[in-house]
Amino acid sequence: MDALRIIASLVVPWVLGIAVLLVVLPRPRDGVSAGEPVWLLGAGYTVGAFLLTCWMRALSLAHVRFGALVVAAPIVAAAAVLLWVRHRRYGADGLGHFGRMVRTLRTPSPDRLLRIVWWLLIAWMAVRFVLLGIEITLRPLYPWDAWIQWATKARVWYALGYMAPFGRADAWLSANGALYFDASPEYPPTMPLLQVWTCLMLGRWDDSLMNWPWWMLLLSLVLAIYGALQRLGVGAWSSLVAAMLAATLPLADVHVALAGYADMPMAVYYTIAVLALLRWNMTRTTSDALAAILLAIACTQIKNPGIVWALTLVPGLIVILLPQKGVRVVAALFGLAVLGLAVLAQTEPVIFNYRLHLDFNPAWAALGETLFLLDNWHLLWYAVIAVAIVAWRQLLSPALVPVTMIGAAGVLFLFVVFGFTNARIWVSDQTTINRAVLHFAPVALVFAVLAFDAFARRWWSRHAPPPASPEIVSEPQAAA
Amino acid sequence: MQALPTVPSATVRITLGLFVLALAACVLAYVALATPGKWFPGAEAKRWSADTMTLSRGRGELQGGQWIVAPGDPSGTVILAVATSLRSSDYPVVTWTASHIPDNAQVRLMWRNDYAPGRLNMSPVTVVAGHPLPVLLAQDGNWSGTITGLALAIQSPAPQPMTVSTVAAQPMGAAELLRERVGEWLGFERWSQASINTVTGGAEVQALPFIVLLVASVIVAALLWLVVSYRRRVLVMLPAVLGILFVTAWLVSDARWGWNLARQVRDTIGQFGGLGDEARHLAADDGALFAFIRDVRAKLPDRPVRIFIAADDPYFRGRGAYHLYPNNVYFYPFENTLPAPGWMHPGDYVVVYRRRGIQFDPSNGHLRWDNQEPVRAELLLAESGGALFKVL
Repeated sequence: MDALRIIASLVVPWVLGIAVLLVVLPRPRDGVSAGEPVWLLGAGYTVGAFLLTCWMRALSLAHVRFGALVVAAPIVAAAAVLLWVRHRRYGADGLGHFGRMVRTLRTPSPDRLLRIVWWLLIAWMAVRFVLLGIEITLRPLYPWDAWIQWATKARVWYALGYMAPFGRADAWLSANGALYFDASPEYPPTMPLLQVWTCLMLGRWDDSLMNWPWWMLLLSLVLAIYGALQRLGVGAWSSLVAAMLAATLPLADVHVALAGYADMPMAVYYTIAVLALLRWNMTRTTSDALAAILLAIACTQIKNPGIVWALTLVPGLIVILLPQKGVRVVAALFGLAVLGLAVLAQTEPVIFNYRLHLDFNPAWAALGETLFLLDNWHLLWYAVIAVAIVAWRQLLSPALVPVTMIGAAGVLFLFVVFGFTNARIWVSDQTTINRAVLHFAPVALVFAVLAFDAFARRWWSRHAPPPASPEIVSEPQAAA
Repeated sequence: MQALPTVPSATVRITLGLFVLALAACVLAYVALATPGKWFPGAEAKRWSADTMTLSRGRGELQGGQWIVAPGDPSGTVILAVATSLRSSDYPVVTWTASHIPDNAQVRLMWRNDYAPGRLNMSPVTVVAGHPLPVLLAQDGNWSGTITGLALAIQSPAPQPMTVSTVAAQPMGAAELLRERVGEWLGFERWSQASINTVTGGAEVQALPFIVLLVASVIVAALLWLVVSYRRRVLVMLPAVLGILFVTAWLVSDARWGWNLARQVRDTIGQFGGLGDEARHLAADDGALFAFIRDVRAKLPDRPVRIFIAADDPYFRGRGAYHLYPNNVYFYPFENTLPAPGWMHPGDYVVVYRRRGIQFDPSNGHLRWDNQEPVRAELLLAESGGALFKVL
């Protein structure tokens, strides 16, 4: 019974998100684009889960007590209406996407060995998700911040049926019971609300099962990467490999197995926002624009650094909107930022009694250890650097420049945080550094795959034998 | 967009073969560089457990097969010694198994030999992440004759406890070297509170990180392929080959991680499998605390009340508070303090768990902490190092 309730708690927001994206998606003209259904599945859950928490916030503001039916019924109704609208507008074509999904997962290669490898990669991911699912199901809430500043809110809100306010220690002491207290009362409510939602569907407080949204978010990331990369022109094999890399990033796996922190959800929302923006650059559809905007807003509601992560989308947007001058504008902005940092590092300015001096003292050794020697990321950062070097000619090409700029902004953000602020302590002791890098790691992965694909195409165009060569067979699904 | 060529399966097979070859070559090169003495020595490794060691300086006790030691005087020095009898030429490496050594501690390996029994010889020991690295003594002129005693000297400015469990003298031939490395790579990394921040990838300290070996193998395999293909003028598959090498190395690394995760899941099933919600909490690491808080909750009213919780250990403070929600709990996450008594009102509750400095006088109902003014309170529960008071 619990399994059905958990499945329902995942499916309800999932269907809502898919319906929201689908209703504004134009009718497919030349059949279903490669990866489109899988993208909708991946982005759908993230959009739906965020909208569900917005609905819960609205209920709380309206003093309507949380309950499974109160939360779920309008969501299900809204999803049904949106799907009906879609069906009315486009008929069978409008919903026929999903009937073709299985076909997009079929192996693209006629070779038996490669077909086996294709399914082995999918099985590899499936085993990982099973293991993570067992951990989530059995282990009571485990990691430190999860029970000191995240699930604290979920526990109170679930019991009270509304979002009771949390405050700092001094405010709590003066509030005489009107405020609640935990280690970070100002943190955004999205992830605790998802825990509340799961418990509402379960019908009881359960601090193991309430973490299934973390599992679902990793699955969404995997699906969204696979679907979006295919739509961006990356071949089926490279898209599957990228999805597999995302599913097997060790620190991402840990954050699902020991769910309760907001860092993995932050990474998922940020990455899918970036993918939606990259898709919009290609499709210019309302659906992709809506996904990018909603998910960028969601980033700010997952964790406080999400505000900065959402801002890192701006350089990408600038080069999309200003194809002629965008790169120069962004380069000038980066230059100004670096200049500002250099000035603050070299001077001691004081404004309104705030000392603005920055100390440049990055912990290079510890940073190198965490990125290149420990197993947090497997070989990800080696690959990112190697690909950036071999594909440097393509990094500013129209197709790649948005993700290049977003990636550069992300690196700059992490560099500022860990090079110039006292957060460097967290580099030295190997704590927050990896969780901050986790926010960015899947985007770096997407960048590496896109850049490598661009490099491979350029290499192919330069070294390909004449078209009549018998051993070369074109890959039809890449252009589908 | 132009389509990429399909990779022939022959290219996949050749690339995989090259990767295996390169991996073997890298392992061989490592063994050649890192084996300190003979590749195939006749001697067997010798190990001394903690109960054969003597604490000659500092304070400490033998617990569960390991010494828990700390500096006992202002010099901050701890010395653990063991009597030995081993031929120095057979054992070029000495490894102490210890943990929690501060990064700024000065650590030395000391020994005596039968050539100069009165002379105390020393060699510095590098500490990484609180663990001493193996000490290579093959080139040390004083590592000669028969070694009659070994000692570990730790000079630490911090009074924190450290653990020492074994010392081993190792011939460190090729097979032992490889066995050690493989043991480090496949070392079981259980969940801990550090897991959410870092995945080390096996043992906490690794002389050769597995990732580095894999990256080296990818580079060597790619170079091998380039050499062969350049001569044949068929370089078109270079991106595919690089991709296959990278994915293969990733999968090898992930197989290790997946295996570790599977072992952890097996442990998790053993610990929590088949249990209900409350039983799972009782079986968790904080089961004793959970049981105490469960008893506390039984004494509390049904409606949420204001509760102050205090514990010396921040883990118990925060975790105890978590179990007390949805009551209106106050705990100070970063310091071991309770608010001034003036902030407490009649009807509030105070929970203490393994907290020093709390005094309760049942004769007059005075509850006092940290030498502050007392508040009037009633003791509702006292058990397992914890207590519940109601402020009157």
